Amino acid sequence: MDKNTIIEVRHLQKFFGTNKVLNDINFSVNRGDVTCIIGSSGSGKSTLLRCINLFEQPTAGEIFVHGINIVNTKKPNEYRKKVGMVFQSFNLFNNMNVLKNCTIGPRTVLKVSKQEAEARAKKYLAMVGMAEYVNARPAQLSGGQKQRVAIARALAMEPEVLLFDEPTSALDPEMVGEVLSVMTSLAQKGLTMVVVTHEMGFARDIATKVVFMDAGIIEEEGTPQQIFTNPQKQRTREFLSRVL
Amino acid sequence: MDLFKNIGEIISKYYIWLLEGVGYTLLVSLISTIIGLIIGILIGIYRTLPAPKNKFLRVLKKIGDVILSVYIEVFRGTPMMVQAMVIFWGFALLNDGKTLNVIFSGMLIVSINTGAYMAEIVRGGIISVDKGQTEGAAAIGMTHFQTMMRVVLPQALRNIMPSVANEFVINIKDTSVLNVIGFTELFFQAKSIVSSNLLTFETYLLVAAIYFVLTFTITRILRLIEKKMDGDKNYVVLGSQNMDANAYAREKNIGGGKQNG
Repeated sequence: MDKNTIIEVRHLQKFFGTNKVLNDINFSVNRGDVTCIIGSSGSGKSTLLRCINLFEQPTAGEIFVHGINIVNTKKPNEYRKKVGMVFQSFNLFNNMNVLKNCTIGPRTVLKVSKQEAEARAKKYLAMVGMAEYVNARPAQLSGGQKQRVAIARALAMEPEVLLFDEPTSALDPEMVGEVLSVMTSLAQKGLTMVVVTHEMGFARDIATKVVFMDAGIIEEEGTPQQIFTNPQKQRTREFLSRVL
Repeated sequence: MDLFKNIGEIISKYYIWLLEGVGYTLLVSLISTIIGLIIGILIGIYRTLPAPKNKFLRVLKKIGDVILSVYIEVFRGTPMMVQAMVIFWGFALLNDGKTLNVIFSGMLIVSINTGAYMAEIVRGGIISVDKGQTEGAAAIGMTHFQTMMRVVLPQALRNIMPSVANEFVINIKDTSVLNVIGFTELFFQAKSIVSSNLLTFETYLLVAAIYFVLTFTITRILRLIEKKMDGDKNYVVLGSQNMDANAYAREKNIGGGKQNG
């Protein structure tokens, strides 16, 4: 295994009841990769992402993190310290202000000091352009601002990989841009990202690898160039002709 | 008019009795509401524990669930007045006629009774917290316990405040049933006053007014506490009093970027 490989998914399967949602998924995430997973609704993109985070227990298959299979780990929370997640619906803690949202993880999970946690929170809030809003509560922010805070919250844990589950799908069109530009700057800083998205422009311009999923399998994967300008599979061409 | 004169006389003659009654009524309802809430929170936490993977622990948890259900159903399904008699005299029967301290019994009975209602209220409060909150906490590596203590319960408690306030008001009124075990709360004092002055209507009218003032005041106070819990409606954007032109420009600069898609 390549020593730059952080996560490697092998023969992953997921059933909901008798419904097969993921079928023999193989894919890996290397350090510095920006992987965009695209595909129609119901193709299993989000389920794959949630399996990587162990929010969904895979039915079969293995997920190796630095060579260790974590599928049956007793402590998924230990693993999630290193694999952050940004949600479609932000999921900021409503009972805390912006600063507290970003310090609670480092404080309670990583047990860093208060000063250290606040310094981190402020650093990452500045990175997403929300430093001025430390005192605001989530309910007082716009969708785009909430998502930027959610990204800062995830970054404050200094994860090795950050998973994005359709981070712009719940936003007004005007707010999509502000979140995507934050994600773009993170990608340029070398953060390893796995992004489930419907934003084809982002996938085309920023991704280092694009994965097209269809009906629970990875139909095609490659560089943005290969997928967007020279797709090999019929299903990929059909999908792209619908969304582009 | 005779009515007001009589009421005035009751107040001047028995105000110590009435004050004592008010004091005990407030004491037992306040403490019992708090203990009941604590019982409710503990049961709420227990019931929302994830199912243990170990088979033995799973069976143990099931047994605990059944015991709690019985507790909740029995205490919600029988009148508190009857519960008071059964517990008070049941204790006496088991201890050769020696009765439990009346004040302690009163608090015990109302606490256990309130706990049964609170358990359901807290459960509802926990369920009402969006599942996304739990996922958000899990995503940064928080354990179930940390998530409960830091994220879910604070929000659940805020959400159930109106119901808790309601329980408190109900307790102020329902402690009157404790007169059956001789607890000297407000209603018991009223009965005693009537038996000596025979002004039944005037005395109970006065006591009704006192109960109303108590519940009304407490409702208002709890409303204020709720407001306080919600925090300030406004927040300060650092580096500017308001969104001035500069802050706006900075925002735009950060938020701009290329529109993809």
